[in-house]
Amino acid sequence: MAQTLSTPSSAPSPSTRRAPMPPVLRGFLWAAVGFLILNIVVDVVDPFRGHPFVTGPSATIGWVGALVGWLLGVGAFEGVALPLFGYPSRWTERTTGWRRYFEYSTDHKVIGLQYLGSAMGGFLIAGLVAMLMRWELMSAHLTIFHYPTNYLTAVGIHGTIMMFSVANVALLGGFGNYMVPIMIGARGTAFPKLSGISVWLVPAGILTVLFSPLLGAWTTGWRGYQPLAAQDPNGILFYYLGVAALTTSTFIVALNMVTTVMFRRAPGMTWGRLPLFAWGQVTVGLLVLIWIPEIQATFVMGLLEKLVPFNFFTATGSVLSYLELFWIFGHPEVYMIAVPVFALWNEIIPVMSQKSLFAREWAVIGLVFVMLLSGLVWAHHLFTNMRNSEILPFAFFTEMISIPTGFAYMAGIGTMWKGHVRLTTPMLLVLMSMFNFLIGGLTGVFLADPIVNMQLHDTFWVVGHFHYTVIGSIVFTGLAAVYYWLPKMSGRMYSEFWGKFLAIALFLFFNATFSQFFLLGLHGMNRWVPAYPRYLQPMNFEVSIFAFLLGLAFVAQFVHIIWAWRKGAKAPENPWQARTPEWFTSSPPPRDNFPVQPEIVSSLYIYGAEQPVAVHMSAEQELAAARDSNEGGEHPHG
Amino acid sequence: MESIIFGIVWIVLSVIGEWAARILINHDPLYYTASNIGLMVEHAFDFILVVLLPIFAFVVVSFIWTMVRFRVKKGERPQLPKHWTKSNRWFVGIWIMGSILVNLMFVLHPTTTATEHFFALEQPSAPQNRHAIVVDVTARQWEWIFSYPQYGLTQTLNANGQDMLELPVNRTVKLVLRSYDPYHTYDQYADVIHSFWVPSWGIKEDVIPGETRILYITPTKITSFSQNPMSRVQCAEVCGPGHPWMEAPLNVVSQSTFTRWIAQQKALQSKG
Repeated sequence: MAQTLSTPSSAPSPSTRRAPMPPVLRGFLWAAVGFLILNIVVDVVDPFRGHPFVTGPSATIGWVGALVGWLLGVGAFEGVALPLFGYPSRWTERTTGWRRYFEYSTDHKVIGLQYLGSAMGGFLIAGLVAMLMRWELMSAHLTIFHYPTNYLTAVGIHGTIMMFSVANVALLGGFGNYMVPIMIGARGTAFPKLSGISVWLVPAGILTVLFSPLLGAWTTGWRGYQPLAAQDPNGILFYYLGVAALTTSTFIVALNMVTTVMFRRAPGMTWGRLPLFAWGQVTVGLLVLIWIPEIQATFVMGLLEKLVPFNFFTATGSVLSYLELFWIFGHPEVYMIAVPVFALWNEIIPVMSQKSLFAREWAVIGLVFVMLLSGLVWAHHLFTNMRNSEILPFAFFTEMISIPTGFAYMAGIGTMWKGHVRLTTPMLLVLMSMFNFLIGGLTGVFLADPIVNMQLHDTFWVVGHFHYTVIGSIVFTGLAAVYYWLPKMSGRMYSEFWGKFLAIALFLFFNATFSQFFLLGLHGMNRWVPAYPRYLQPMNFEVSIFAFLLGLAFVAQFVHIIWAWRKGAKAPENPWQARTPEWFTSSPPPRDNFPVQPEIVSSLYIYGAEQPVAVHMSAEQELAAARDSNEGGEHPHG
Repeated sequence: MESIIFGIVWIVLSVIGEWAARILINHDPLYYTASNIGLMVEHAFDFILVVLLPIFAFVVVSFIWTMVRFRVKKGERPQLPKHWTKSNRWFVGIWIMGSILVNLMFVLHPTTTATEHFFALEQPSAPQNRHAIVVDVTARQWEWIFSYPQYGLTQTLNANGQDMLELPVNRTVKLVLRSYDPYHTYDQYADVIHSFWVPSWGIKEDVIPGETRILYITPTKITSFSQNPMSRVQCAEVCGPGHPWMEAPLNVVSQSTFTRWIAQQKALQSKG
């Protein structure tokens, strides 16, 4: 991943830096040391002798030590801790070479790629687990999983990693960190150090969840729900802890993105001109800042319920409270995934259609209203266990949320109509994503209806529905974003033939797999079962075959992307003739994003023969920019 | 002109879609429906399907239209007009008003109508509910236990010793749902959330520790688990490792067969 640089003034000489060992390796070592120290401390103060060396409480406290050791080990020790306490640190930031992606960094572009890499790793791990699940479901009885707990743990690991370290990470931590500052003409983010630490919480969280079976199985799926979790073995502890790391990372991303968009926009980058993707990040950021603390508090209660225990959620406490608290977060979570996707559709469509974004204000209003309404719909996950009198208001809001969601489609279709549409790979993937999300949305209308929900709830219909909304949105659009910005991030171009070929393969296998989930659900296939009645076996077998092909299609996509990144043809500066600021700097962008502070002089989404270039870089501003980069930022005009 | 051709194609495809949907509806898209509530589910499902099809067709046709009609070939650099339209009052207005109206309609029907109908069926004072057959359903890890207090039966079993539910057709049954383990009453962590689901009845109700929930329902078809495996009681909420096997066969029989079955169960129970 060689990067051409416009030689920033603060270029360090790599030879001054003497790392005793590669930072990631040191992170693992320090994590092991941290775990051992705190684990032993707990053993020593344990009033009851004769417990095993590692117990539930000792593993929990030990994990905190491991996390601190890991974060310090990957570079926060020299980069943050030493300077913070006033000690001299010889830490200098690498600005070239692949090694900078494997250590603490304050460059939002490096951090963005670290987030993207972690999300991709998480996706491959959780995808492999899904393949095992589909293998098991090829027959009606247990085969490769010897106990049902093993299968249920696999379900939990798959869901948890996919949701908290892929869906919440790829477009927020990944493209958010990388692209948003450049798109708003900023030369950095608001909290670079915090952001540099937070990205390393993601691999820690993934590994914690992945290796949770070391402490024992857990059977609750991605909700970690009580009261069932309280009777699970200790594996559930690592679920709560891993998710704590992952959600904290998402929270820091949101804090950083919202602050950056508020305070570091380029001159002339008014809210009315703000790129749609940046709007998406702000609305999602607000969702995250509101709801992530809520679910973290709930997970702490779940953890204590398991460790102490407290009887919060048993029959002597309040059994349904956990599920209520979970879904109060859980439905906004769906829109944390979907809102940046809606924003990206309308980011890519005008560029590829070479046409002005249609009804821009409605596209933005849609994002904002989806965000607001998403906090009012959670109980539709609980139609089968709530009081009847509470059903109708939630059904009302659930049905209403499709209206602002539809605005994203309205703007997209209006933009494409009579445009000059270039059917490139990113555009094709956006159209596929909109199709898939449409299926997800329309099948959701059935689920929103309480009486139909009584039949479809907890069946494979629901599983099909949310895979259509989640894969259909984040994965297809995430891939579209990768292809769209690949020339920007790597300076290289993918193969249009292979990009399209693999996109079509992905689309066909995806639909062949998940469309049958709806039929399985209607036919009586319930969730969380490694064994099921025999009459459902033929269709499950067939679904598994398509699922394996889908897995292969994903791997092929990643192979192609990595190949293009390293070996692709040299890309032109602005291959799509886009108007947003990220295309007005070199590819990949230099350390400070722009040679001088750019100024935004016209709308970013208005195309036409006589439109002036929207991004302006004057020599006059060069001085001001140089001054700002020392002081840490330009303040917004409006 | 473009819009008119688009409109015609959309209408033609929607009509074809509705015709296909009619065939599906005649074959019961829920596969098998065998209770009064199940019929409500089926009607609501069919109604939503019919309304959503033209919406689906509109979006999909617009995507295909884009790919076919508005596509520029690779390398082609068409002259951009001086100004593009940035909005279209009619399109935006119809879209927004249309989506609000469709959603309000869904809220009124089937959501409110069917849900209120369901609530009315669940009123204990409703005439058909006063003489219902009472079945106490106990969910434990991992078993459904059925007892018939009106007949003095504490646990009904089939010939294989499995718990089984048997009911007469067209008579309302009052299911009293509880989640607790009668064999481990000392352990507060033994009770978890289960969900009572009969796929062929079109309904599920979660069974919550510490709560007693009541479900009135009327089976409308004579059927059995061996005849159609959707006729079974299945736990639908994950409840631990035994969750997949937390199921029991459901037989719906004629009144005379039911009377004979009760007598047989009584004889079994008295033998101990």
